[in-house]
Amino acid sequence: MLEQLLIFTRGGLILWTCKELGNALKGSPIDTLIRSCLLEERSGEVSFNYEAYTLKWTFHNDLGLVFVAVYQRILHLLYVDDLLNMVKESFSEVYDPKRMSYDDFEETFRQLRKEAEARGEELRKSKQVGKGLGSVKKQGQVAKSGLDGGSKQSNGESGGGSKKDDGDGDKGKVGSLMMMMTNGNHANDSDKTDDFVNGKENTTDNVVVDPSKLLKLRSKGVRGRGGVRKIDSIGNKSSKVTAVEPPKKATKKNRVWDDAAPKQVKLDFTDSVGENGNGNEEHVDIVAADQGESMMDKEEVFSSDGESEGDDDDDDEARSDEKPEAKKKGWFSSVFQSITGKANLERTDLEPALKALKERLMTKNVAEEIAEKLCESVEASLEGKKLASFTRISSTVQGAMEEALIRILTPRRSIDIMRDVHAAKEQRRPYVVVFVGVNGVGKSTNLAKVAYWLQQHKVSVMMAACDTFRSGAVEQLRTHARRLQIPIFEKGYEKDPAVVAKEAIQEATRNGSDVVLVDTAGRMQDNEPLMRALSKLINLNKPDLVLFVGEALVGNDAVDQLSKFNQKLSDLSNTGTTRLIDGILLTKFDTIDDKVGAALSMVYISGAPVMFVGCGQSYTDLKKLNVKAIVKTLLK
Amino acid sequence: MDNLEDLKIVVEQWSNQGIEYLQKIPPFQLYAAIGVLLLTTILLLSFRLARRTNSNTVLLSGLTGSGKTVLFYQLRDGSSHQGTVTSMEPNEGTFVLHSENAKKGKIKPVHLVDVPGHSRLRPKLEEFLPQAAAIVFVVDALEFLPNCRAASEYLYDILTNANVVKKKIPVLLCCNKTDKLTAHTKEFIRKQMEKEIEKLRASRSAVSTADIANDFTIGIEGEVFSFSHCSNKVTIAETSGLNGDTIQVQDFIREYIKP
Repeated sequence: MLEQLLIFTRGGLILWTCKELGNALKGSPIDTLIRSCLLEERSGEVSFNYEAYTLKWTFHNDLGLVFVAVYQRILHLLYVDDLLNMVKESFSEVYDPKRMSYDDFEETFRQLRKEAEARGEELRKSKQVGKGLGSVKKQGQVAKSGLDGGSKQSNGESGGGSKKDDGDGDKGKVGSLMMMMTNGNHANDSDKTDDFVNGKENTTDNVVVDPSKLLKLRSKGVRGRGGVRKIDSIGNKSSKVTAVEPPKKATKKNRVWDDAAPKQVKLDFTDSVGENGNGNEEHVDIVAADQGESMMDKEEVFSSDGESEGDDDDDDEARSDEKPEAKKKGWFSSVFQSITGKANLERTDLEPALKALKERLMTKNVAEEIAEKLCESVEASLEGKKLASFTRISSTVQGAMEEALIRILTPRRSIDIMRDVHAAKEQRRPYVVVFVGVNGVGKSTNLAKVAYWLQQHKVSVMMAACDTFRSGAVEQLRTHARRLQIPIFEKGYEKDPAVVAKEAIQEATRNGSDVVLVDTAGRMQDNEPLMRALSKLINLNKPDLVLFVGEALVGNDAVDQLSKFNQKLSDLSNTGTTRLIDGILLTKFDTIDDKVGAALSMVYISGAPVMFVGCGQSYTDLKKLNVKAIVKTLLK
Repeated sequence: MDNLEDLKIVVEQWSNQGIEYLQKIPPFQLYAAIGVLLLTTILLLSFRLARRTNSNTVLLSGLTGSGKTVLFYQLRDGSSHQGTVTSMEPNEGTFVLHSENAKKGKIKPVHLVDVPGHSRLRPKLEEFLPQAAAIVFVVDALEFLPNCRAASEYLYDILTNANVVKKKIPVLLCCNKTDKLTAHTKEFIRKQMEKEIEKLRASRSAVSTADIANDFTIGIEGEVFSFSHCSNKVTIAETSGLNGDTIQVQDFIREYIKP
């Protein structure tokens, strides 16, 4: 049964709640929905899970209204989307911006609900098969086409919906799935859905599909597509089907070699030197603070190119080159429409513009799934809106996308590290930063840059060499420490990194260092034992900041890396505080000219802000992320 | 000398030609053209002046969950209707304050803007700052201590904004939710905010010369920060959005936007 149905404006005022279902909701699901889903540009998703509830929503973009339905998660109500749509239509007839209370809507709602429930019952009982099982692009899009189908009062004939999807072609999802919105559905139908899901294109027996089961099956079946199955899992830590784990390779050697014989032949050639090495290393020149200001503190000077308005003509030309025929007609009619100011934006109008925008984002190295989700979210926010006169559809879409991008890249919390360091100093404990990432992204180099920057601001830093695996890692850090004249805590190779880190923090507390920078070994996100070791380090030492180091050259793999890291950290954490990735350090930014999309993919998938950007290989090459410049580059 | 004379002759020739040309145009068109030019310049100037001196915009800002939208609707309608949720967009309105509806005579309406407090929507505040005549910074007096740092950072960003400093926009620090029993007093809140801003001042201005985070620094060097050090006026008030006790905010608004 429905728990609650709310209607509120985008400005935050609740216009109507159902008095009949007067149950008070536990917690604050609506606020959480807004903060972690709608404002995170995930409004293209189908539903949102919060504790014991599932929430579904729809927008009326023209009037600026949001309709949200809340129900118990264990019940799989399928008439909710249909109900939301009907409520949307009937409410928009009654809506008046001046009116604040809509008590008479209660009656209308009761009728609508009866209708929707009845329809659901009918379809559940009937043996009619879901028509037209054309392959569908994504479940979210199916939901929308279903919504349109519902609004056209097509009586559960999702054939109307499937026609929309014809143009999308096969995208090879598990089976060809058509979600029947208005089906009531129960467990006794699930065995039929299993058959259905096993890849039969056109079945004529009754196939009543349950979307939530679909999600599970889909996640099980489609494995290698990158790690994005349910984005909200990162925020919610809900129990979910994890991907099939790679089988433990029998050949993987232990990190610590136990055999007695090779022990004598160990490959550690480090000279036995003290912490501040003397002897034959005196000729290393001490750099101190002479390299000038770190770029973190410099003003960003970037030439303001012409505003995006001026680029529109170029865009049109470029696009028309790609797809001459269809585009020319589309351009002309869009110009005509822009002058007359067409009534409402339809999905079909938005599609070409959004497709072009998605292509453009992908050429800028944004991961494909992220671009897809973003476009869906922008579509959800623009559909039904009135087009202002003298604006083209493409410029409206561009404006909406720009806003969405700025919103994503703006950090959710303050990234003022100095302030955090001071706060930790007051509590007389060191501020611990752990650098994690895959192999070869630049953790040790950027650790040195961060140490240099902190040192310039009169913060005492200590390095902890917890990369006890890679040959030369400890020496590398030792050299950096000597050049910057900061203490380093090391224990050599083949030690347990978690224990080394713990001792380093104790040492820092003893000698009064403000910040401890912990370097870890690079590891692939699929490597189970190494990820376990990492989460042991984090659980044991409870750092203040877990910084994920990712290179800007990465493409679609960024999504996989970050989601798997987060997933492993949350799965293997102790009960109580679960630490996830708190910030991102983007490296090798100088090697990409304008293909800055990796920043967007990483921020979107993890929700963590980009705290530093590494743009070179010397100590001063560390910057802050300039959100406006990145957005401009992405949309150019 | 010859060159000068030559120049003079050329200039004279040009001016003669120009005068001849002007005389050729029928006088009506000429006057019309000049009239249109004058009119447009006068209009532009008057718009620019009007916007600057007679701005009647008041901004409601603060962290998310502090009660801005409730306050907005209280000021406008006298009640917060059925409750609010986190705002995704600003609420704007130009109206006469609700309690003044009873007064007779022509009162100047106030353009009130409720800017969402969620950190992702922070850039929206900067769109509205240039036109603001006064700012009300709403603080949740009930859940003050957990949010103290975030609130003071936000307030610090506002107080060091270029627009606010240059135009000396007055700020009201409004402690909301004072109807609850465990809400803090305004004196306590004031002292805590001053302490936090002092720490922020130390950490942000101890950076190098090009501090790109904030445009200006506030307060006097060497002294502990206090709101009286700000060049624009900062005052404190207590309100309760749910109860409708918003009299102090209304007084503040009317102080700066003359009826």
